[in-house]
Amino acid sequence: MSMSSSNGFDRRRWLQHVGGGMGVLALEQMLADGREVPKKNQLVSEQGGVHLVPRAKRVIHLFMNGGPFQADLFDPKPSLEKYAGQRPASADLLTERPTGGLLPSPFVFRPRGQSGLMISDLLPNLSNFADDLCVIRSMHADNPNHGPALLQMNNGTILPTRPSMGAWFLYGLGTENENLPGYLVFCPGRPVRFSILWNSAFLPSKYQGTYVNHSKINPSDMLPNLKNQYWSHETQLQQLELLRDLNHQYQSTRNEQSILEARLESMETAFRMQFEAREAFDLNLETKSTIEAYGEGHFANGCLLARRMVERGVRFVQVYFGNGQPWDTHSNHDKSVPNLCRQIDQPIAALLGDLKQRGLLEDTLVVWGGEFGRTPTSENGSGRDHNHHGFSMWMAGGGVRGGMAYGKTDEFGFKAVENKVHVHDLHATILHLLGLDHQRLTFRHSGRDFRLTDVYGRVVHDIIS
Amino acid sequence: MSIKSIQQSVPTSISLLHSKLFHCSALVTFCVFAVPGQTKAQEADFFERKIRPLFAEHCYECHASDSNPVHASLKLDSPASVMKGGDTGPVVVPRDVESSLLVHTVRYDQDLQMPPAGRLSLQEIRDIEFWIAQGAVMPSDETPMLSKEGEIDFEQAREFWSFQSLTSPRPPSVSKADWSGQRLDQFVLGKIEAAGLTPSPQADQRTLLRRTYLTLTGLPPNEEQVKSFLEDAHPHSFRRLVDQLLASPDYGQHWARWWLDLARYTDRTASWLSQDGQAFFYRDWVAQALMDDVPYDEFVRRQLATDLMPHTAADDLAALGFLSLSPTYWKELKLPCEVIKVIVADEWEERVDVVSRTFLGLTAACARCHDHKFDPISMEDYYAMAGVFASTRVIAKPQIEEDLYGPVRVAKDKVAALQAAINELKKQATDGKGQSESEQVAKRNELLAEIKKVENETAHYHEPLVNALSEESLYVVRAGKNAQDGTRLEYRPGARDLPLFIRGNPNRPAEIVPRRFLQVFGNVQPFALGSGRLELANAILKDAKDLAARVVVNRVWLAFFGAGIVATPSNFGRQGSLPSHPELLDDLAERFVKHQWSLKRLHREIVLSSTWQQASVADQRLLQADPENQWLSRMPVRKLTFEQWRDSMLVCSDSLQAYIGGESIDLEDVENHRRTLYATIHRRDMSTTLMMHDFPDPTQHSSQRVVTTTPLQGLYALNGSLLIEQSEKLLNRLKRSECKTVEESIRKVHYWLFLRSPSDAELASLINYLCASGDQPSDERWKQCLHVLLASNEFQFLD
Repeated sequence: MSMSSSNGFDRRRWLQHVGGGMGVLALEQMLADGREVPKKNQLVSEQGGVHLVPRAKRVIHLFMNGGPFQADLFDPKPSLEKYAGQRPASADLLTERPTGGLLPSPFVFRPRGQSGLMISDLLPNLSNFADDLCVIRSMHADNPNHGPALLQMNNGTILPTRPSMGAWFLYGLGTENENLPGYLVFCPGRPVRFSILWNSAFLPSKYQGTYVNHSKINPSDMLPNLKNQYWSHETQLQQLELLRDLNHQYQSTRNEQSILEARLESMETAFRMQFEAREAFDLNLETKSTIEAYGEGHFANGCLLARRMVERGVRFVQVYFGNGQPWDTHSNHDKSVPNLCRQIDQPIAALLGDLKQRGLLEDTLVVWGGEFGRTPTSENGSGRDHNHHGFSMWMAGGGVRGGMAYGKTDEFGFKAVENKVHVHDLHATILHLLGLDHQRLTFRHSGRDFRLTDVYGRVVHDIIS
Repeated sequence: MSIKSIQQSVPTSISLLHSKLFHCSALVTFCVFAVPGQTKAQEADFFERKIRPLFAEHCYECHASDSNPVHASLKLDSPASVMKGGDTGPVVVPRDVESSLLVHTVRYDQDLQMPPAGRLSLQEIRDIEFWIAQGAVMPSDETPMLSKEGEIDFEQAREFWSFQSLTSPRPPSVSKADWSGQRLDQFVLGKIEAAGLTPSPQADQRTLLRRTYLTLTGLPPNEEQVKSFLEDAHPHSFRRLVDQLLASPDYGQHWARWWLDLARYTDRTASWLSQDGQAFFYRDWVAQALMDDVPYDEFVRRQLATDLMPHTAADDLAALGFLSLSPTYWKELKLPCEVIKVIVADEWEERVDVVSRTFLGLTAACARCHDHKFDPISMEDYYAMAGVFASTRVIAKPQIEEDLYGPVRVAKDKVAALQAAINELKKQATDGKGQSESEQVAKRNELLAEIKKVENETAHYHEPLVNALSEESLYVVRAGKNAQDGTRLEYRPGARDLPLFIRGNPNRPAEIVPRRFLQVFGNVQPFALGSGRLELANAILKDAKDLAARVVVNRVWLAFFGAGIVATPSNFGRQGSLPSHPELLDDLAERFVKHQWSLKRLHREIVLSSTWQQASVADQRLLQADPENQWLSRMPVRKLTFEQWRDSMLVCSDSLQAYIGGESIDLEDVENHRRTLYATIHRRDMSTTLMMHDFPDPTQHSSQRVVTTTPLQGLYALNGSLLIEQSEKLLNRLKRSECKTVEESIRKVHYWLFLRSPSDAELASLINYLCASGDQPSDERWKQCLHVLLASNEFQFLD
């Protein structure tokens, strides 16, 4: 490839920038070969590096939007049978809508694996990974409405003006692969709150998540305009150099650096994505047996995409289960849940197995859960209302102890009562696993230091291996 | 046991539960046989937990107030009717299980066996027996559970700022008095000074010009416009420019989109609806109304009820698109009506949502299943409002008088019949039946000719239809005798009041709620004119006038400054934000109403204000002291909307097709050089380009756009066809301009795009790029360079 610099700009300096610090020679070689750009290995942190020894380098968050019911899946509550139809004082909690008496879960639990972790028959494949799961049965949050609860789970607070956790992760750790967005959000449609759930708020805009609708899985559908049909990469490199030059001249006289800088960086990421993203997003490159292992459906595709992303160093991948809030079973709960579980069971099991086999589970943290759980009491006879008082989430890989159930809900699974884990605590723990101290990961804004965990949060050391 | 002690013995949330179910029901008291040791509340609670859900699931299909027909005259949805029984007399005899017909019926031990779908479980039967044995207690008005606890205290709720009357604030005294060009400036300056800051200097003329053009018209000024402004020596040249822009049709086309985001406008309605109506009439109506500065109160009234107003021009009918283009959800009529009722109820909820959020900044739809958790909106309020939409039907109407259109309807029926005959012929042909082929062809041609004739001879036959409304009520009923027979949607003339749906479930109707306005605004007079749409509009503009004015003024402010005075523009309730400048908001709102709700007057005041004319470049001290710019001590830098960005390219490349209104065109159509306002919006199949650029989801009301910056947008700028094509058009324009040197060309195009000359450094960069391989850049090189300019930050951001 002819790189002779008759063009009169400092290619070396520029490549260093566009390459985000990767070896210039490597990039030149890549351009010459038309191969994928190599990943960058060192952690890049705007806030000055990790505070602790990281156990996880990346996170996959499987988001069951709508809110699954804990006592169907991970938190067996035999007492519900006994008190069916009644509403003892301890089960008399306020949720979004009025609910009636206790409604037992008809699904059967069994001890699984060496650990004997109780998992419902609804998740037979996932049960094979019982010894990898750390189920937190004592999650609780502050609000029983979807919007605020989605915000709290993602952004730490119900205020719409705070950065999402993914933005904090990137701010803390940078990205491992400059050729892909560091924070990807897959949803086959839209959750009921949209881009606010992956925004960067006052953190630099470049840390916001990139939303990809994967309801169609051709790379060109997920990533429109991935290919330039007109100009060569070298031409594009020259264009980008000019763009950077002009933008910097414009920016030098202005204050609002973040959004301007972010736009330039997003274009540079876009440019580099042309080399790697098509391949990264192409599920057809998987073997038939892998594809079969994950199974069919949007969520299965999302899980497989997530693996391909973390494999390539994407820092944070969220996979929303579906459009809207599919787990929001206000009626016909018992009829809907087996179907929902069928859609997650095989893909999640395949994901965990796949990560394990590739040696990625060690330093990839997988987080599963909704924005809240559901009530053990019935809504209109066959439904369950939202429940923020107590619900289950689980984590696997990335330094957590497998085969354990942490914390307890009350007799009916309504309210977290022992070793309670608030959403703030969950965030503090995830940050800890990533090597970040949630009290030291701060950003000064509006005259004070902000944190993902606000003034709260406790690292749950008991679940760390 | 005293009432007081009973109250104490009942857990709060149970009483809340029951008050929500029954506090508004006109229930008849009936006999209650208390069991020692149990409170009535606890006994009635057994009914709520065990029996009512059973009834709801297995009986209400045929035995509830809104069952159609009610079988055997037996209704099991209120305590009174349970005790009354049906055609065969009482079905429940309290404390006498064996004498209760209900028990035998559910046991299947007599001829009458219910429910028909299959016997209940033994446990369920035992529950019914137990309930009757214990006295068949149900909640009633007289039980202490129905205390008013948990009810909304409207008096207290009105204390909240947004329900208060406008306060007629006086501007604060400020030290920098000469800064205030407009009244609003004094309020802003007051806050700036109180924060110990000083406002930023005025932006330079070029910046101001670009800002003014793009904000008022959505388009940048062209070279001539800049020149003529800069040469205008008149002391009020800027004021004159503003008036000129406010009078330009570009203004209406730009601001229409401001409203259409709120109205969740779509060009394509759901595929299962008849597409007779043309959605664009509504879009064009909005643009024209804003153009004409139709007073906002009138603007609201027309959209909700122009058909019910005494003076309605034929072309006003399109205003009803606000409601008639509402999202609709698929109703599979093979399903039982219980299912379809829920879908219809969801549609009504969407209407309540869009109307309450758009015009009042209130989330009234939250009160469908329970009283609003935070704001003074009761379930009754919700159903009082939902009834208005249940009494309104979406239909297509011509914009001409019905007298003129009557013959067209007849002709259309005739054409439909002829078309059916043609289809029948086709069918016969494929089946190999009927006449010979030549006969069939002849016959078909004859029919086709007849269709042509009817179409040609009927005046106004091709008159387009608009999406409008009619005064008909929707009832969801069984198509046959059984649930399995499916559902029929019945539109009946006249209005209907809805029952309150217990927990939002239309299959659990409680008492009827007359249609009326929200109680917190003090007027609970039931609506009497048809559906009540006009009364609803009038109530919004009279009883809730102050709130309605605050809400719209705040929306305008948001459009000018990128952030509202209230940061949550469609939620002025307790869950929303408090105003950063409450006095300013009230002053603007008060004068807005006083000046005939004129949007243009408000726009003019803002554009002429020193606040809005501030520079966007601030010194470090200011940035640190007010990083969020909450005191408006500078103008924020804003990213152009996708519409502004694309339209700017079309202006600069001189390829904008300026004609106004009419049918939409696909955004990606290679022939599409119209303003982006006219790009087809397809609710179910949204343009990915629009969606990736923060365009709102047209399935619901959007209160403001959330600005994102993502690599997918980066890919669009680098590789998307728009910028590539526009670079070429720009180059063609540049060639036509007959510049002599590369430098001259650069200066020319730079001026078109940025309204300024390039700096020496910029010029050097551009020349360096263009002339990298020789003094005469190739067309390709030029295109690449222009592409970069179009993709640059300066072109996409507004200072």
